[in-house]
Amino acid sequence: MDDRRLQLKFYETHDGKDVLKCIQCGTCSGSCPLSDKMDYAPRELFALIRDGEMEAVLRSNTQWYCVSCYQCMVRCPQEIPVTDLMYILKQMAIEQGISPKTAKMPDLYMTFYREVLKKGRLTEAMLMIRYGMKHPTDTLSNAFLAVKLLKRRRLEIIPQSIKEPKRISYLKSADSERTETK
Amino acid sequence: MRYGFFPGCAYKTAAGYRESVEALNRALAIQLVEIPDWNCCGATAVFSINSSVALVLSGRLLALADLHGFDEIITVCNACYTTLRKAIHMMEHHPELITEINKHLKTETLQLKRLLPVRHYLDVLANDIPEMRWRKVKQSKSDSDLRVAAYYGCQLTRPWKDQGQPERPDVLEQFLERLGVTVIEHSAKTLCCGASHMIPYAKDCAPLVSRIIREVRKKNGNIIATICPMCQFNLDAGQGRLNIPGTPIAFFTQIVGLALGIDSKDLGIDKLLVPMYKISDNKE
Repeated sequence: MDDRRLQLKFYETHDGKDVLKCIQCGTCSGSCPLSDKMDYAPRELFALIRDGEMEAVLRSNTQWYCVSCYQCMVRCPQEIPVTDLMYILKQMAIEQGISPKTAKMPDLYMTFYREVLKKGRLTEAMLMIRYGMKHPTDTLSNAFLAVKLLKRRRLEIIPQSIKEPKRISYLKSADSERTETK
Repeated sequence: MRYGFFPGCAYKTAAGYRESVEALNRALAIQLVEIPDWNCCGATAVFSINSSVALVLSGRLLALADLHGFDEIITVCNACYTTLRKAIHMMEHHPELITEINKHLKTETLQLKRLLPVRHYLDVLANDIPEMRWRKVKQSKSDSDLRVAAYYGCQLTRPWKDQGQPERPDVLEQFLERLGVTVIEHSAKTLCCGASHMIPYAKDCAPLVSRIIREVRKKNGNIIATICPMCQFNLDAGQGRLNIPGTPIAFFTQIVGLALGIDSKDLGIDKLLVPMYKISDNKE
């Protein structure tokens, strides 16, 4: 793994260089609802990026635990777009084929992504079924809930899609392009 | 003003959201026309994997709304709101992205010509409907024991501070109070519900739900008003794992409907998992 090359790649993305503004105050880590589950809280992650430890960064679960609540971003005294940087790291990890120790969120997002690429819309039940095939224990506990939802006519079983999903096959060419995150 | 309605993928199965939005549209004569052949916004998932695809998804929706002559896009979901808003923000700052998006849309004979404003349905109800119309519709003084805690979740007020204060907004409280609804003040209104992390990490997310419900009960609230299908679902279904008294989680449109005197049957209130009759004064 070429740490230096990946660090430069990160800095070249639109907001990447903003990590250089970080004063290590920890407001982001203290504001994060799930930082206690992360390998490195955001403040530590930024220190690692600056140290050029990119493999450790991309292999960590930190960016995948980010829920996109943007709390860190509105509080950061240096106005670093923390959440946006997490998106860049997720995309970089996918691009480099680096999976974190836990593959749950990448699997969930990828399942979502493929459904939308194919159908143009998401059917939540389909997402649960497809993700559930990879991670049965996460979804089995939801079987009871599914029954309750079904009783209340809240489970969509017919897959949803746009009128002619073939028309959006251009999404697949966009998929192979990848705009470096702006 | 022609509102282009973007329901999003979670709307149809959300607990009575559609029923209550439609009931309000009928009562207040709001013309909310669905954007024909709308597509998924991609939410946090697609932006996490690939920005190009995420931008084309938002671009297609914006182009469709413009093509059909709408002036604004109205969402009922925080994730749809922020995702579209984020895509538009990127396009405004990097106009070359629009050229890229259009290369793809061309194959469907669509073109993105202008970036329509995106607004939440809450904003429409709170700011666009003249006071006269509310007064005409509201049948009687509502006599209710509801003490409502407004809950915004994350992605309406952040990151752009569109509703003023990003952590302590009060647009929903002010709006509900105008309709005679009793609201309570609390400090959990913009805390995270766990979002899609609830699926793989239900156990890790349980404390997030618990923190919100406990705070509301401590401040003497007995029902929570949500503005997003994901928030509603996580707080409603998430209570099954907690050992605390059930607190009903309604959509704000259901609470508005009740305040106007609309029959609860027409508001889909029977679809909530924690039933509304569970409203009790049991404090923690």
